[in-house]
Amino acid sequence: MAVAWWQIILLTLYAGYQILDELQVYTGLAQPVFAGLVAGLIMGDVTTGLIIGGSMQLTVLGIGTFGGSSKIDANSGTVLATAFSVGIGMNPEQAIAAIAVPVAGLMIQMDILGRFANTFFAHRIDTKIEEMDYKGIERNYLMGALSWSLSRAIPVLLALSLGGSFVNSIVSVLNNQLLWLGNGLAVAGAVLPAVGFAILLRYLPVKKHLPYLILGFVITALLTTVFGNIQVLGGSVAGVVEGFANTFTGMPMLAIALIGFAFAFKEYKRTTEAPKFQQMNGSVSEEGEIEDDEI
Amino acid sequence: MTKSNYKLTKKDFNQINRRSLFGFQLGWNYERMQGSGYLYTILPQLRKMYGDGTPELKSMMKTHSQFFNTSNFLNTIVTGIDMAIEEEEGIAGQESIAGLKVGLMGPFAAIGDSIFGALLPTIFGALAANMAVNGNPIGALIWMLVNFAVMFFRWKQLEIAHKEGVSLVTTMQSRLTAITDAATLLGVFMVGALVATMINVRLSWTPVIGDLVIDVQNNVDMIMPRLLPAVIVGAVYWLLGKKNITSTKAIFIVLVVSIALSALGVISK
Repeated sequence: MAVAWWQIILLTLYAGYQILDELQVYTGLAQPVFAGLVAGLIMGDVTTGLIIGGSMQLTVLGIGTFGGSSKIDANSGTVLATAFSVGIGMNPEQAIAAIAVPVAGLMIQMDILGRFANTFFAHRIDTKIEEMDYKGIERNYLMGALSWSLSRAIPVLLALSLGGSFVNSIVSVLNNQLLWLGNGLAVAGAVLPAVGFAILLRYLPVKKHLPYLILGFVITALLTTVFGNIQVLGGSVAGVVEGFANTFTGMPMLAIALIGFAFAFKEYKRTTEAPKFQQMNGSVSEEGEIEDDEI
Repeated sequence: MTKSNYKLTKKDFNQINRRSLFGFQLGWNYERMQGSGYLYTILPQLRKMYGDGTPELKSMMKTHSQFFNTSNFLNTIVTGIDMAIEEEEGIAGQESIAGLKVGLMGPFAAIGDSIFGALLPTIFGALAANMAVNGNPIGALIWMLVNFAVMFFRWKQLEIAHKEGVSLVTTMQSRLTAITDAATLLGVFMVGALVATMINVRLSWTPVIGDLVIDVQNNVDMIMPRLLPAVIVGAVYWLLGKKNITSTKAIFIVLVVSIALSALGVISK
């Protein structure tokens, strides 16, 4: 058993807290990328946590709980995958596909259970309204927090306490007898973000903004290739030439986001100031001409 | 018809905001969704308005515990407008309030879900995830700061909505449309960028014709770099358009197909 008891307790507490965070203040702690960060901190390997959390984040981008539909629980999946990946030494990308995604899928049932449990409290509140018992209304309302957090904390606790040896045997099989499957899981972990992107595209008005989808893709594809190749070149040259101390960084995503922001800003200007546009064009050029006439 | 003369104070606004921010969805359930949550956020104010133990209070409590579901980022806008009317009309406005709540929850749910459910995660979640897969937590912390900024706005909107009342909905309409339009443009652009960077698989298929080994990935790169990720996303997009394919099913289908293609030696990392 490679996950220590105090780590299990901390991870369980986090799993119970994160769902409440999502329901209320929404600090972001209830996002898979933070689940990875927190679980990584607890397990003492932040990098692995961030890799798993980041990949899960991309996989569920744009899956919101619209109108109370249950979504897959990427957070619990991330917590377990990180714990076992660090604790037992599983490749993070394998852990995403082999642990995080199946766990996230199974946890949907727990979400439904939690949402059902609260119906009971809603009826208790009806009774308390009849009795004019204000404290009772508030008490029964806040009890809802219990069903929410237990629906996440209990499964995580059980899985962490009992799952260690099971995961251990899976890891050894994947790296020996079923190597093709082990590699396949790692590839699947790399492909999964595609689902998150496709869901977002279903949700955003793609047809209306199609030119910008093309621009975003092509600009980034070209730059990321250029940056990537320069890094490879730099690495090779540094290996051959002594005193070559330049390190080349990868493509900064924020720069791409700023290009997109510029397009968006233009669009906003265009839609809000459409009628004024023609008047502004005239005055500027006239001033320029007046100065010429004074010769 | 008793008209309540109680006017909300700064303290009341703070209390509603506290309850909304820290408890609005705790009681979420299938039957009423955010119904009891709505009652919980304004219960102390209802008691001040109608007086403890009065039949008016009981009837209003029942009204406010009915089915309600909107964006949990914009719910206090509805609360603010509702409170403004109740200050004026009291119990006489009961029916119009019930109607108003039902009328407003849909549009605000749509606006809130698209801004807070899709756009912010696309832009900041993508940045955070992009840095995270390289082992860098900075992006995640930036996202957290953005969420705190959102919280600040959630805190402010109650009083604005209370002051402006129903007219707010009409004045906001045109501006919101422009903002949402620009924001979705940025969202679409960013998804394009993400497709090009975040799906790191390549074609490993190298067919041999005679004694010539063809590097398929290399040829594809000459046509358009990052074409394979684009094709994969296109395929999943098409898949999601099929009947009875949920996002969860799509994730598992992608999982199985990726393993199969990897085992056949078509794609690799």
